[in-house]
Amino acid sequence: MQINEIRVGVSSCGLAAGAQDVLNLLKERTDVPVLGVGCIGHCYAEPLVEVITDAGSLLFRNIQGTTKDIDAVLSLNTKNNPEKQLHIRSERTSRENLRITGLIGKSEPVDIDAYVSFGGFDGLKKALRMAPESVVDEVKQSQLRGRGGGGFSTGVKWSLLAAKSSGDKVIICNGDEGDPGAFMDRSLMESLPYQVLEGMLIAAHATGATKLFIYCRAEYPLAIRNIRIAIDKVRELQLNAIGGTPLDIEVKEGAGAFVCGEETALIHSLEGKRGMPRFRPPYPTDSGYHGLPSMISNVETFANVPVILRDGAASFSSVGTAGGRGTKLFALAGDIKYPGLVEVPMGITLGEIIYEIGGAEPGSVKAVQTGGPSGGCIPASLFDTPVDYDSLNSLGAIMGSGGLIVIGNNRCMVETARYFLDFTHRESCGKCTFCRVGAKRMFETLEQITAGDGTKDDIAFLEDMGRKVKAGSLCGLGATAPNPVLATLRYFRSEFEAHVVDKQCPALECAALCDVTIDKALCTECKLCLKNCALNAISEDYVVDNDICTRCNSCIESCAQDAIARVKAGQGYRGSVEREVG
Amino acid sequence: MVTEKIAFTIDGRAMTAQTGETLLQVASRNGIFIPTLCHDKRITKTTSCFVCVVRHVQSGRFVPSCAATPQPGHDYESSSAAVYEMRQTALNLLLSEHSGDCESPCTIACPAHAQVEEYVRAGRKGDFREALRIIKERIPLPISIGRVCPRFCEKDCRRNINGTPVAINEFKRLAADLHYDEYMEALPPLGDKKVAIVGAGPAGLASAYFLRRQGITSQIFERMPQPGGMLRYGIPEYRLPKSLLNRELAHFEKMGGIFINCGVTLGRDIQLETLQQEYDAVVISIGCWKAASMRCDGEALAQDGIAWLGKVAQADWTGKNPGRTIVIGGGNTAMDCVRTAIRLGSNNVSCYYRRTENEMPAEQIEIDEAREEGVKFAFLTAPVRLEKKGNLLKLTCIRMELGEPDASGRRRPVPVNGSEFSVEADTVIAAIGQHTDAPSGLKTNKWGDVDVNAESLHVIDNVYSAGDCVSGAATVVEAVAAGRKVAIAIANQLTGKICNVPETINVSRGHWRSMDPNSLAKLRDASDDARISLHHISLDARRTTFSEVTLTANTAAVSSEGERCYECACTSRDTCKLKQHSEKYGAKPGAIRGKQRFLDYDTRHPVIIHDRNKCIKCGICIKICNEVINQTLLGYKNRGYLTEVGTAYNTGFPGSCTDCMSCIDACPTGALDRRLKQ
Repeated sequence: MQINEIRVGVSSCGLAAGAQDVLNLLKERTDVPVLGVGCIGHCYAEPLVEVITDAGSLLFRNIQGTTKDIDAVLSLNTKNNPEKQLHIRSERTSRENLRITGLIGKSEPVDIDAYVSFGGFDGLKKALRMAPESVVDEVKQSQLRGRGGGGFSTGVKWSLLAAKSSGDKVIICNGDEGDPGAFMDRSLMESLPYQVLEGMLIAAHATGATKLFIYCRAEYPLAIRNIRIAIDKVRELQLNAIGGTPLDIEVKEGAGAFVCGEETALIHSLEGKRGMPRFRPPYPTDSGYHGLPSMISNVETFANVPVILRDGAASFSSVGTAGGRGTKLFALAGDIKYPGLVEVPMGITLGEIIYEIGGAEPGSVKAVQTGGPSGGCIPASLFDTPVDYDSLNSLGAIMGSGGLIVIGNNRCMVETARYFLDFTHRESCGKCTFCRVGAKRMFETLEQITAGDGTKDDIAFLEDMGRKVKAGSLCGLGATAPNPVLATLRYFRSEFEAHVVDKQCPALECAALCDVTIDKALCTECKLCLKNCALNAISEDYVVDNDICTRCNSCIESCAQDAIARVKAGQGYRGSVEREVG
Repeated sequence: MVTEKIAFTIDGRAMTAQTGETLLQVASRNGIFIPTLCHDKRITKTTSCFVCVVRHVQSGRFVPSCAATPQPGHDYESSSAAVYEMRQTALNLLLSEHSGDCESPCTIACPAHAQVEEYVRAGRKGDFREALRIIKERIPLPISIGRVCPRFCEKDCRRNINGTPVAINEFKRLAADLHYDEYMEALPPLGDKKVAIVGAGPAGLASAYFLRRQGITSQIFERMPQPGGMLRYGIPEYRLPKSLLNRELAHFEKMGGIFINCGVTLGRDIQLETLQQEYDAVVISIGCWKAASMRCDGEALAQDGIAWLGKVAQADWTGKNPGRTIVIGGGNTAMDCVRTAIRLGSNNVSCYYRRTENEMPAEQIEIDEAREEGVKFAFLTAPVRLEKKGNLLKLTCIRMELGEPDASGRRRPVPVNGSEFSVEADTVIAAIGQHTDAPSGLKTNKWGDVDVNAESLHVIDNVYSAGDCVSGAATVVEAVAAGRKVAIAIANQLTGKICNVPETINVSRGHWRSMDPNSLAKLRDASDDARISLHHISLDARRTTFSEVTLTANTAAVSSEGERCYECACTSRDTCKLKQHSEKYGAKPGAIRGKQRFLDYDTRHPVIIHDRNKCIKCGICIKICNEVINQTLLGYKNRGYLTEVGTAYNTGFPGSCTDCMSCIDACPTGALDRRLKQ
């Protein structure tokens, strides 16, 4: 077999796994073209190398910058290293629908010629031949809804901006992806910068916008770099000359505040002010950036637009359900075998995503958190729910921007709620009373429950305050911050009750509500646990004193016999009790 | 722009708005009160406090009325239970992070709620007449209380963190000594209402005083030959000279409308039913005079402490030497007895107490002074038997040890088997507590005290009761507080007003015991001098005469003692919107609990004091400075619960601050204020 080209995934996920070394070494070792390409979504397999041969393509997974691994790639030797070969499972391929991300992995992301050769800018060209209002209509007909989580009709939003007669109008691409565990927008900006820009330029043509911003969090340096290069190329080719004059396109780096994903806070940040939301109306389309009519959409929304224009609204809306048309990117993370990024049609069930694509063992999953910290959990019993905006809302969760965090059976749902609220309450801008103080008080209450100091009143407080924080907050951050708590209370109330009534953590995750014991039948008295215990909580006769033990798990992890385990609170030995009695 | 009229309703009332007008604006134009903390007409909307929420009926959502504009044809609720609850919760949340002291801990600690900080400040500035005026708003017996008060205020004084409290009671004593005779409060003319008061002790006198201040006449009936109650017959001359008491009591008759009838006993000379018929209301304030039992054989041979003191008092603090004297008990009455016995000439006086000195209910100063005067103490000693042995008494006692804590929290004394011993004495005095001898016909509680409604002190029909006979033996200042309470209740009843003292809230930074000395935020630079030292008469004079032990401090010394006061109270408490709205909406500190932050006061500006602990992050000051004054001296920093308002890089207000005070005037709480406490 002849190698024609080698592609190495060099998005942030690949780079973090060591792809840069792999890329450099391959370039040194071979004369065939070695390309650094975008992320094709198989994060579990990074660094990922695709070798294009005359007989087709071969995928290598987890390739490190070692001679052995590079040799394996270049020799196309898969027999000796079967674990290095990646076979993309049919459970995944059969469910994927790569309408937006189809070009990823085929060329270097900033290579504009390659993008054009794959049909890039065809959508823009087509749009420019159409009257602006026809473009708006096309987007309306596609039934595209905002991919940032709000789900507002994109076409309607465009028509609102288009209706403004004022001279200067602003389009802002929201790349302030803040949900922990979500990386759809980063991937798109890193891997498909031209497609995002193309969507914005189409929007500018349709709405008469004169100024374009891409607001991207500064923690995404590669996305910023690629987008900036892409802007330069677009300017060079004068693709930004919509309506005769070249449009101003600018990247603004956000400082990482979660709340700046909210559109009015984002505008404040863009203006150089502290990112704090304000009351709407006026909506940004009436008064946005420096008072100008402004339209803000998410990265993924813009990435959808060229596809809609190129293939037509009918083709787009043929995919999906009434509650959501087209495909959606999901970032799969958590207790799952194959974490990564996946593009699937709306209407696919949670079970298909989690069990089939994600490879989770049925029965090993307790719930999934959708919509990041603003969303809610959905229990495994409801995994046959089709994924779209409306069906997830009806379950007390949200679609959000596409983060799916899978929660395994070994996780405590109270701790999960505490974890998410820990994030949101810290990220409050501090303005609204209910969000700043109410969310903090809810967080403190959850801390109290996980520490074993909770009461039944605490559960009632969480429900009451959760409802009020949602009702009494100006922006989406406060209005959704209680969601993880309310959803876990809705589906996993018994776990809360076990914490406050029985003083037990059913998942044995909360340190204050479980004990550690050593099974003498399995123990070989190897002393490893004794050596690993920083607090000398284990006696010479292999008994863990749970009054000293902090449940750090060092002994459990060190034990080769699996003789040490967490058990229900009260089942372990407690030195102080014995001492008092003695 | 064409102005449209938008028709909508609030609480079912039809109203119209101009385009752009907010719900808050329209509501206030139509006389509907909506509370808000973050709204200021001069600036763009902050929409932060969420106290102004109204409910949009069509969607069921709560909207901030300061920012939301009405939708044509829609309905809004401002007075529904749901809106009230949201506002209350918003205020409760703000109170849970708001930290400061609405009132000083001393004022809160005072049972009579005397404005301690205010009268100490008046004294510090040398205006003791003003100090007396402030004191007498709450304490009509300042000469007495200035001498005998156990000083609840000083026990809670924040200065305890760094040593000794401000000598608060010396201000009261000096102010009264200087100006009591000349000072006359402004009095309303007397109306036709009249009240009978049984008992001319502190509670009865205070009831009469506060009734008079509301134009109500009172007739006081006192069974003893002279008025004053415990002040005259319980508290010894060396603590409260009766010449001073006479001066103090003279004022009551000088006020006009207070008539004291001595030698009249309820149940013998007058009957309750008659009083009820002849007067608009009756106050039972007969005190707590019945001795508690020692529960030991032969206890009838012992003197009853209160009665014994009363006898000495009636003999004008003279009497025969009691000889070898044993006083049983550990309270203030026991201390009064031992010290009186010394003064009557005994050189062998002992106090027997069944627990240890730590558990003694008597004031420490009384114990110390008794010891100085030669009183011996025997702790963990309880009487078992009292017998006659010739002219002497033989007292058999048993040693005790401390066991588990009892209901009072004190460790219960338990007898040690076989530890009995006997001593001989000329006089044995039992001073182990007093009970109320309640008049027949009045309901009593399980302790035998008169059973009252705790709020109004109302007993039955037009009968009220106040003082020791309600509370059990307590302090003069508590009796005075009860007298005021009963007077207000009666005045409200008689004048037809419902007892409607608005409920006030008090935010407190906490008790000094739970505070970190380094976190002590001071509103002024207090002096760190030592506490004033008081002059006592010689020990010899103390042992042989009933002269007053402690002398009143001089004006200069007391004034400079005032420099030690931290003046903890918030300077904005009378204008604080958080306090006002919280009181209106039933929000209370502590309703929602959680961690609070303690940040230093920023006192670097010459005129402005910035207390971030009181800040509710409404953002008005930031916008006033920016949008009205065209400066940007203040801004938000941090996120989440750590959000605070401050100056750039926390460098303090820069020189470009024009001292315009706009931020201070706009601050809804006391977070930004003038440095008033110089």
